[in-house]
Amino acid sequence: MKAKKILAMALAVGMTLGLTGVPTFADDKKTFVFGDTTFNAENEEADINPQNTYAGWACIRYGVGETLFRYSDTMEIEPWIAKEYENIDELTWKITLNDGVVFSNGRACDGEAVKECLEALVANHERAAGDLCIDTIEADGNTITIKTTEPKPALINYLSDPYGCIIDTQAGITDNGIVIGTGPYVATDLVTDDHLTLVKNENYWNGDVNVDEITVRTISDGDTLAFALQAGEINAAYGMAYASYPIFENEDFTFSSTATSRAFYAWMNFESPVTSDPAVRKAIAMGIDKESFVSVLLKGYGYPAVGAFPDTFSFGGQNLTTESYDPDGAKQVLEDAGWVDTDGDGIREKDGQKLVIRWLTYPSRQELPLLAESAQATLKEIGMDVQVNCTSDNNTIRKDPTLWDVYASAMVTAPTGDPQYFFTSCALDSSVSNNGHYHSDKLEELAAQMENEFDVDKRAELGIQMQQTVLDDNAYVFCSHLRMSMIMQSNVTGLVAHPCDYYELTADLDIN
Amino acid sequence: MSKRKNEDMNVRNTATKEYGKKVTVRVQKVKKSHIKQKLVFFTVLAVCLVILAVFSDHLCPYDPYAQDLSSALQAPSLAHPMGTDTYGRDMLSRVISGARASIFSTFILVAVISIFGTIVGVGCGYYGGIMDSVMMRISDVCLAFPGLVFAMAIAAILGGGIQNAIIALAVISWPKYSRIARSQTLALKNEPYIHAAILSGDSSLQIMLRHVFPNMLGPVLVTAMLDIGTMMMELAGLSFLGLGAQIPMAEWGSMMSSGRSMIQTYPWVVLSPGIAIFVSVVIFNLLGDTVRDYLDPKNREAF
Repeated sequence: MKAKKILAMALAVGMTLGLTGVPTFADDKKTFVFGDTTFNAENEEADINPQNTYAGWACIRYGVGETLFRYSDTMEIEPWIAKEYENIDELTWKITLNDGVVFSNGRACDGEAVKECLEALVANHERAAGDLCIDTIEADGNTITIKTTEPKPALINYLSDPYGCIIDTQAGITDNGIVIGTGPYVATDLVTDDHLTLVKNENYWNGDVNVDEITVRTISDGDTLAFALQAGEINAAYGMAYASYPIFENEDFTFSSTATSRAFYAWMNFESPVTSDPAVRKAIAMGIDKESFVSVLLKGYGYPAVGAFPDTFSFGGQNLTTESYDPDGAKQVLEDAGWVDTDGDGIREKDGQKLVIRWLTYPSRQELPLLAESAQATLKEIGMDVQVNCTSDNNTIRKDPTLWDVYASAMVTAPTGDPQYFFTSCALDSSVSNNGHYHSDKLEELAAQMENEFDVDKRAELGIQMQQTVLDDNAYVFCSHLRMSMIMQSNVTGLVAHPCDYYELTADLDIN
Repeated sequence: MSKRKNEDMNVRNTATKEYGKKVTVRVQKVKKSHIKQKLVFFTVLAVCLVILAVFSDHLCPYDPYAQDLSSALQAPSLAHPMGTDTYGRDMLSRVISGARASIFSTFILVAVISIFGTIVGVGCGYYGGIMDSVMMRISDVCLAFPGLVFAMAIAAILGGGIQNAIIALAVISWPKYSRIARSQTLALKNEPYIHAAILSGDSSLQIMLRHVFPNMLGPVLVTAMLDIGTMMMELAGLSFLGLGAQIPMAEWGSMMSSGRSMIQTYPWVVLSPGIAIFVSVVIFNLLGDTVRDYLDPKNREAF
């Protein structure tokens, strides 16, 4: 009997220990856990292979890959892997690399390696191929000479896009999408939608790395993220819900915030019988209360948008005019266009067609469901029935224009610091993502001019005209720009929010 | 069970013998009036909830769908007894308005599954044969899955919306009733009075309606009453997961879901619908329990 008791007690103690877990007293290794809501397949960041859709964002953010040039805090091009470039003629660019750049596996990152990488990039990545228009690349020691098929004034900017991360193509890409880059960290394990494990790059070419091991946890749910940071399971978080900010506004945590060009905006579907009507588009533009959306729902962590770019850019919203929030005006616009509520249910009709707006959006950017519900209420006031479809499957649905009328999404509109990117990615006939099939002869003409314009001021002027064209057609309604924040424990240093939202985990990261 | 009952009876008989009959009668009277009181009390509460749901349009102090961003996330006050949500909507109005969605949907759901399940059960039990086997295997399939998981799968296929959530839960919940009805029918159909009815030329439909169905009303009713609370929780659960009511519809489950990120910062946004669910589920469960006690044959002789 006594033996049984002792056995039972031993079991109980064992189980308790098992449950609590024995803490690992290791070594003086510095470890860091980063919680991120956006590192997932839903955001087209399934892995860290920069040549796979938008996964380059993960590659560059988590310090695995680096691009030839990078952006300064004022969004100007500065050297990174490359030290300088020279625009020999309209079609030819000579880029000189820094000496001593090595991949994390020890291979030298020379002209030949960059050439291999860029050739693979344009072969594998549709958007990059369209942006770069590379004809030939020649490598000679530490210089490469790129010839484009047509004038590409923004080539250097495009090369600084996350897809331009230089990876060792000879080392290949593992099945789970791990690549070898030149950054301060080396990926050792990756499970899509779960985690990424990084270790210090012992061969890092550009200074010392402070942290030995990093785990990036995909935590798509904002509440889980908040609890994880509160409980100390993660050291820093990206994508915290605004509603949770007050929890961290104390001395235990630090915020790093910056204005970005990430815009939250609504795309109109020109194939839809409803939103193909200019009056409906205009009424939607007049029916969204951007000011309150930013000040209340985003708790001031944002800026109401006019055009695609924030006011910090020379081609920003200050140069543009668009509809402002005016419910009465919107009602009038709809009345004049023949949209009248004949059956008294509060929703307007025209020729038997109800003014129903199928509003497609997705939950991983927490601002978007807030925008949807806020627009649903304000547009209802002017007689529109907004049916929100907030789904992670948005990227499939938006490709079928019969399934939606308005698509609200988030996008960094000027990741390259240049206005062309936004238009080439979603507003032109040739744009891969122009799923609403917007077409404007004027815009196409201006875009063609921009293609050949090398003068920065003139490009900015064209950028303004192009935005105004889009706004005059109400093809897009820009609602707000993001003031991006990362929240971290107060002992974390070197984790700084950057205006282009590309650089997060750098060699400067430290935890004390 | 029956052995214990016999023992109880023995004890009671002894007590009667020793202390006289009066004592026993008094104890039963107390028990009887206690159950009756409970029944009346919970019925009144449940009726109050139903009235709240029926007249929710008139009882809401504000429009539950009117956003007023200037008064977003206000703490409970005299003007807004349950505070306001992210969009400045009055929580009390939304909770009252949500009562309609939550309670009526539950009633519809329970009515559908109990009626359909009973019809299937009586039919299967009375006729037997291939139909019986087929229907019972289908019900086995439904019962084999964990209920809510199966409902989630169906709701996900059908898409969001409270109607689809009702359909999803109905599809998985009817077999319980068909099982009860079938077993009762099997027991009843060999009763002499059924044979007598057959001999006197009653049609099968007449027998089922007049002689079988009324005799199983009790168990079915009790199960249905007890199911109201469960179904309310499951509907709210589906809405919480985004598979039931869609925004901006005021429904308790979806209100909790949209407010859950505020549990630490603005707790009233999630607690108001949470308490509403808690209170209504408790009321309907206790009412169900009391109805069961009331209809229990053990207590019946007391009335």
